[in-house]
Amino acid sequence: MSKRQLAMVMDLNKCIGCQTCTSACKTQWTNRNGRDTMYWNNVETHPGSGYPRNWRKSGGGFDAEGRLKTGHIPNLARDYGVPFEMNYTAALNPRGERGGDTHPHLEPLTPPTFGPGWDEDQGAGDYPNSYHFYLPRICNHCTNPACLAACPRGAIYKREEDGIVLIDQERCRGYQHCVGACPYKKVYFNPHFGRSEKCIFCFPRVEQGLAPACARQCAGRIRFVSFLDDAEGPVHKLVAKWQVALPLHAELGTQPNVYYVPPLSPDKLDAQGRPTGERRIPEAFLVELFGPRVPEVLKLLEAERAKKQRGEPSELMDLLIAYRHEEMFKLDPPKVKP
Amino acid sequence: MKRLLAAFLFLPLATAAADIAVQRLAGEPSLDPLSPAWLAQPPASIKVYPQTGVPPAAVQAATGNVKLRAQAGATTLALHLEWPDRRPAASRGVNEFADAAAVQWPLQPESGLPHVGMGHRGAPVSLWFWRADGTVETLAAAGFGTLTRQPADGLQARGVWKNGVWRVVFFRAPAAPASPLPLAIAIWNGEGAERNGLKRLSAWQTLRFDGAAEKVSLRNTAPSGNAARGKRLMQVKGCAACHNFPGNSAKPSIGPDLRYAGGLHGADYLAESLREPSKIVVPGKGYFTEQDGRRVSIMPPFEGSEAERDDLLAYLFSLR
Repeated sequence: MSKRQLAMVMDLNKCIGCQTCTSACKTQWTNRNGRDTMYWNNVETHPGSGYPRNWRKSGGGFDAEGRLKTGHIPNLARDYGVPFEMNYTAALNPRGERGGDTHPHLEPLTPPTFGPGWDEDQGAGDYPNSYHFYLPRICNHCTNPACLAACPRGAIYKREEDGIVLIDQERCRGYQHCVGACPYKKVYFNPHFGRSEKCIFCFPRVEQGLAPACARQCAGRIRFVSFLDDAEGPVHKLVAKWQVALPLHAELGTQPNVYYVPPLSPDKLDAQGRPTGERRIPEAFLVELFGPRVPEVLKLLEAERAKKQRGEPSELMDLLIAYRHEEMFKLDPPKVKP
Repeated sequence: MKRLLAAFLFLPLATAAADIAVQRLAGEPSLDPLSPAWLAQPPASIKVYPQTGVPPAAVQAATGNVKLRAQAGATTLALHLEWPDRRPAASRGVNEFADAAAVQWPLQPESGLPHVGMGHRGAPVSLWFWRADGTVETLAAAGFGTLTRQPADGLQARGVWKNGVWRVVFFRAPAAPASPLPLAIAIWNGEGAERNGLKRLSAWQTLRFDGAAEKVSLRNTAPSGNAARGKRLMQVKGCAACHNFPGNSAKPSIGPDLRYAGGLHGADYLAESLREPSKIVVPGKGYFTEQDGRRVSIMPPFEGSEAERDDLLAYLFSLR
């Protein structure tokens, strides 16, 4: 276990699914050299298959006795989707080989069968009670990482000073045991280099006192970053003080360090269009994702929101609203001057 | 040749078949695995066993045979490995693994044989590694998980798959050996997702140069005990509570799986493991506790009569 743990809270009530975090991450880290299918950060719609496809049913993590459970390495075509190119030449170049086309249009050169965001906004339920919410995901930088436990070479380590989980690229030989062992499927194999790679919590930014790119760029201001043991930091306030941020699939035993404020939802409507008092997103589904404390957290969020609506003060709501962006992050000052 | 035969006669049956005579050439060995100069040479047949000692273990794989040939030029040594594989797997990708082969050498053979599973602390091994995606590497290790790439040293390797058979030639200019060289081999079937510990490997073998004096004892004398009595003792002495072996219905995985213990390890190593379990401890989860940075096996040293010990050793030796 590391001495300290840097952690992230994501407020799912504020995520608008704009994928700015995904773009920030991709342009920073994974837009080249064999990383096409690699989304260290992705935003998926739930209920849905997620990315990679059906990762929640892909095994991995630990059993009740602390033994690694069998995990499956995703299939490139079925679970990631083979990356495709667009027909730019034919569609955009009037003197190209298809210049005579009267209705030039952009399309993939090979028909895609799957990819990130494949079932975006589909969700579940029937009108007027259809529902969905967004679930942004990065590596959970677990306190008990299954990827680390599965690596026979000790190539994966957890940094003492902040608990960031990294793959030593000098030690990795591309065996991919970590890819299968991670129950969140957040380790990816890079076929170009023949080694595995994953979210690095933007540690070069963190070392300069900056929040990870996904958090800093988030347009919805849903992401908080600070040390778990820092009582002045927003993460400690949400996770330990208010206890409204919950880990994803904690039952898999890895002790993830990304926490989620579960999403509230409007009432279901009856045949006459009247609110029924029952939330549209089934509680059972949220419990499946975020554990048994979901009902009390949702009640607390509603109560605090009601206070705010009545004009009464609410520290929790002020915290979640995040009036000042810079207060969402509390990191150590830069170790070395830039 | 006469001297070579004499050497064979002195060795007990268990290892005699695996002695590999190096053919001396006037010129250089061929790098072409299909060269008639290779194929005309009678090979030694080496049995390879699934690695079952440490997870991830290749317990599902079957034992096999690798044909091994060795040739030496004036300053070069070349090895030719040949084994059946129905389909070649030559590329690596997501959940896609390539066929591979490796040759393992002890770095300090005069101080005894390292653990055949990539050496052990204080007894490092050097490895020649070839993979069907074109990778050729010299590696070093001193135990499972310690494999480390070494700077390029002129090692060359070439593999050809033809009609269900892989043939691979390793070629290097090592220092001229003055004594028989121990070596072990390993192969990986990429199609079966084999990589790292998921592999089949051989016991230590002997590469015998004409006229070279024997400096390291590679004798592997079969223990004198009674294997059938030994098998019963596996229950009586409590071995069956932690170790899997043929006929142990509980299939425990608290200690290494012993189903190929005799095929992979020499009698000396097996005896040492009973006498001093903490001397070499392979890094399976729960196999040991750590004290002052050293692994202490959770297995107690053998307690019993000498006859009982010999019976147990005879049984373990028969597991091949």
